[in-house]
Amino acid sequence: MRVTVEVVGEETRNVDVAADATYADLARAVGYSPHEVSVMVDGSPVPEDQPVDAGRVRVLRLIKGGSSGATLGPPS
Amino acid sequence: MLSFTRDAYDAIVRHGHGGGDREVCGVLAGDYGDGESHVTDVSPVENAADTPQTRYAMDPEELLAVIDHVEDAGSDVVGFYHTHPAGPTHPSTTDVDRATWRGYSYAICAFDGHPFLGSWRWRGGGFAGERVAIEG
Repeated sequence: MRVTVEVVGEETRNVDVAADATYADLARAVGYSPHEVSVMVDGSPVPEDQPVDAGRVRVLRLIKGGSSGATLGPPS
Repeated sequence: MLSFTRDAYDAIVRHGHGGGDREVCGVLAGDYGDGESHVTDVSPVENAADTPQTRYAMDPEELLAVIDHVEDAGSDVVGFYHTHPAGPTHPSTTDVDRATWRGYSYAICAFDGHPFLGSWRWRGGGFAGERVAIEG
């Protein structure tokens, strides 16, 4: 099936995926790990393991991080 | 370079102070440029992380709504900010591991002393520091 995928902040493209593809497969098809993004349908996240049943989706790159973990030296 | 209006800069510091020992976060809006961006507006976004003292994770629905609002208003998303209530003043390895918006500014306001706001552009393989200024 063909799905119109907008990567928020980047471009919109049409992607062909298998009939049994999941939203995680769709994220990978546009170059992102499912852990890096939320696939959004009508403004809400959809479970990554759910089969694709929307003709248009938005892939939102997640914004997260924090002060935990080893720290780097100040970047240049 | 990442420049801020005085109001936008102060809004981040106030937001950070209000968060106490929790990290807070939000979206930077204004005029985007690959080498130089100007921030005129700051939009807080809910920190949905399980451990907000040391992590932040913007709520996806709220983040998308803010991005749409910024773009509908004819402005650009310039980048994002979050706080480090107890430092460090620079990105942690967690920040590096989670960064996804190539070419955008990630500003960090640290509060382990006098508030200090630094900014870095995510270049895919790492963060590149950029000068921060207050203008206009």
